[in-house]
Amino acid sequence: MTTAPVLVSRKRTPSRSVPIESIGRVGELRLDYAERDGRTIVTRSHCTSPWHLLPPIYLDETGAAYTLLVNPSGGLVGGDHLSIDMRLDDGAHALISAPSANRVYRSQGEVSVQDIELTVGPGAILEWFPEHTIPFAGSRFRQRLHAALAPGATVLLWDAIASGRIARGERWAFATLENEIHITTASGSSLVERYELDPATNLGAVGLAEEWNYVASLYVVSDAVLSEVWTRLEARVASILDGRPGLVLGGVSTPAAPGLAVKLLTKKAPDLTQMLEALWAAVRQELWNLPPVNWRKY
Amino acid sequence: MDTRALVEGLRFTDTFFPSGGYAFSSGLEAAVQGGAVKDSDQLARYVEDLLRGGMSRREALAAKLANQAGAHGVLREAIRVDRELNSAKIGRESRLASRQMGRQVIKIAVDQLQGEAILREYLEAVETDRTPGHLAVSFGLTLGACGWKGEETVAAFLYQTAVGFVSAAMRLSPIGQREGQRVLGQWLPLIDRISREVDTHRPMCSWSPVQDIYAMRHGQLEWRLFRS
Repeated sequence: MTTAPVLVSRKRTPSRSVPIESIGRVGELRLDYAERDGRTIVTRSHCTSPWHLLPPIYLDETGAAYTLLVNPSGGLVGGDHLSIDMRLDDGAHALISAPSANRVYRSQGEVSVQDIELTVGPGAILEWFPEHTIPFAGSRFRQRLHAALAPGATVLLWDAIASGRIARGERWAFATLENEIHITTASGSSLVERYELDPATNLGAVGLAEEWNYVASLYVVSDAVLSEVWTRLEARVASILDGRPGLVLGGVSTPAAPGLAVKLLTKKAPDLTQMLEALWAAVRQELWNLPPVNWRKY
Repeated sequence: MDTRALVEGLRFTDTFFPSGGYAFSSGLEAAVQGGAVKDSDQLARYVEDLLRGGMSRREALAAKLANQAGAHGVLREAIRVDRELNSAKIGRESRLASRQMGRQVIKIAVDQLQGEAILREYLEAVETDRTPGHLAVSFGLTLGACGWKGEETVAAFLYQTAVGFVSAAMRLSPIGQREGQRVLGQWLPLIDRISREVDTHRPMCSWSPVQDIYAMRHGQLEWRLFRS
């Protein structure tokens, strides 16, 4: 494993435009990646508290930059507004995750917001696999994730939520939860997953999903993959999803954008992790004949 | 609503209308085979949850917006809603079924309701692949052209959808007609509520992960009676 130097512009003093009460609560993270001599490097970075930036690491010979999104505060409280602006230049390859689950704490009124903009350049690859979000009882969370793909770009995007702090018996007890994932390709085709949950209202009820504890989506989108590869991958993913009947309920299909959409429900965290690893490994092998990723996070 | 408008629109909602809906189960077949729907009580919960969480702020919203677009003659808005719905319908079979039925509806509507320019323009956009032609949009435009209001259009759309589920369930499980009528009656208060509460100023959204997954799984069933 090697690490690369990274130029970090970290604001240690508040800028005049940022009110003092926003310090540590309105955090911006900007990361630009580019490919240089077979290796992806960070060409520009900038973050404000609570984001903390670690340099990317290189775990294999692909030259892909493995980056952990670190929020040392451990989560979001009401009124927090975290944003990420990530841009991959031509041919860059970045893998993104986080060291721990994204916790959203109880809020009396204000919403905790996370805005993510991902711009994936021509031929670039972004593998986005953050840990799942845990909405605590009484929390109010809004996430908006937009990914724009240039011709030949590929995105693997994983998004998962837990029903709450399950070990405490706290399930589906958040106040509100809004999530929007929007992926757009160069041709204009797109897929959108958007839900607004408010268990106190009729139309916002959790419904039949209450029997489960984790809800996850995996989107694999690219206009640079042959149709027979998608067909083969879809069959393989379907087989993986059927591997734990009663513990995992999952489906795979082709969305309006070129690629695959996977949705799954699990009752236990180890099943979620096992599914993530199996699905991710299948995608990497079918698309690029690459081995699974070993994050060495723990 | 005057009587003429009522009967004009009714034929587009009637099961006699050849939309091709009888061929689709919207994932119910996979749910029955997967053991999630075994009796009428489970059917009632499954569909009620889908109407409320999955369709109220997606298809029902699209039908209401299309109805407004039709009433104002704004094709651009109908196409915008249609494309957004296409992006939001993640599962292939559900998406294609909706498009196929939508094309049927708008073709017949143009043939029957001559003089309605926006219907012709929309059909032309569908046939030239400028818009996907989803059922909710075709339906909303058509009933709008018949003089139905947004709430009435949404109620009719959801009622038609609910009848489709009962019809499919009767072919997939031992549920009889009287049982089917009872279940249908249970959904009517929700349909009424959705038709009034759907807010056209809110973004399109949907939450029915269980039903979405069964709809995705339909393509992998070993034997199939339905096409979705």
